[in-house]
Amino acid sequence: MKELIINGSKRELDASTVEDVVRLLGLEGRPVVAEVNGEVLTLERWADTATEPGMSIELVHFVGGG
Amino acid sequence: MSGKSDQELAGVVTSGGDTWRIGDREMTSRFLLGTGLFPNPFVQTEAIRVSGAEVLTFAIRRVDLESAEDDSILQHIELDAYQFLPNTSGSRTAEEAVRIARLARASGLSDWIKVEISADERTLLPDPIETLRATEILVKEGFTVLPYISDDPVICRKLEAAGAAAIMPGGAPIGTGLGILNPYNIGLIAEEANIPVIVDAGLGTASEAALAMELGAAAVLMNTPVAKAKDPVNMAFAMRLAIESGRLAYLSGRAPRKRYASASSGLDALVVK
Repeated sequence: MKELIINGSKRELDASTVEDVVRLLGLEGRPVVAEVNGEVLTLERWADTATEPGMSIELVHFVGGG
Repeated sequence: MSGKSDQELAGVVTSGGDTWRIGDREMTSRFLLGTGLFPNPFVQTEAIRVSGAEVLTFAIRRVDLESAEDDSILQHIELDAYQFLPNTSGSRTAEEAVRIARLARASGLSDWIKVEISADERTLLPDPIETLRATEILVKEGFTVLPYISDDPVICRKLEAAGAAAIMPGGAPIGTGLGILNPYNIGLIAEEANIPVIVDAGLGTASEAALAMELGAAAVLMNTPVAKAKDPVNMAFAMRLAIESGRLAYLSGRAPRKRYASASSGLDALVVK
């Protein structure tokens, strides 16, 4: 288990990559964009990007807006 | 629901060939529609359809990790049918806006970005200094940048010089429905700009959308006046008609204003003379 900061909150997840994080949160296949430690992480790099304790991950998407 | 057929809708398009352009995209519709605040996805979908909009705006927010449900707005929208214009709402500095813009582009759905940097929550007025800074940075990064900005002709010139693809002065503060508070400024901005001017924010009803177009705006962007109308679908249609009407009036050139009457029935050969 690793303690990660996801969307501003601490979470313990058994995730070795960012792809695992997305899957464990039930977001697989959804139109989600990831940012890791302040940098955009494109979908192709999710599987190769290893998680580290304390890593800050933002998962965002499009919502209604003007 | 209005139940207007595609044929009915096609009948109201203004004179053929009156297109406009942002970047590589040539457009017929001069109505850009926001996707917030609609009562439900069905009303929203129908409002979008009758509006004839080709460009839809969105916001970028954190995914709700507590909700298992897919709350993405994109599940209700045909992705290939529209140009997406994500905004940077919620940002207070150029850096925050740039961060949101990069996330929006990483979606792979659009490299257009509406720069929206609010100075405070009460007025949501755009911070002109931060907006100019964000525009400069994002233009360098290859975005198609559409800044939402105050109705100030000088900052609008500076945004154009910074490489904005369009400028979007507000008619009044966001969501107020106060209409176009300074028609002189909007008219001057439209007259001076060499890029499209899109009146964005503050409109309330159809006459105000028509006025924006009569003042020379290339297009109008709105959300609240449609989404919060009692009948959003019919209001979307009313706005579309007003935008087309105002555009046609602008192209037609209004008759000059006069201080005193001038008879439209001639006074020659008058019976009672």
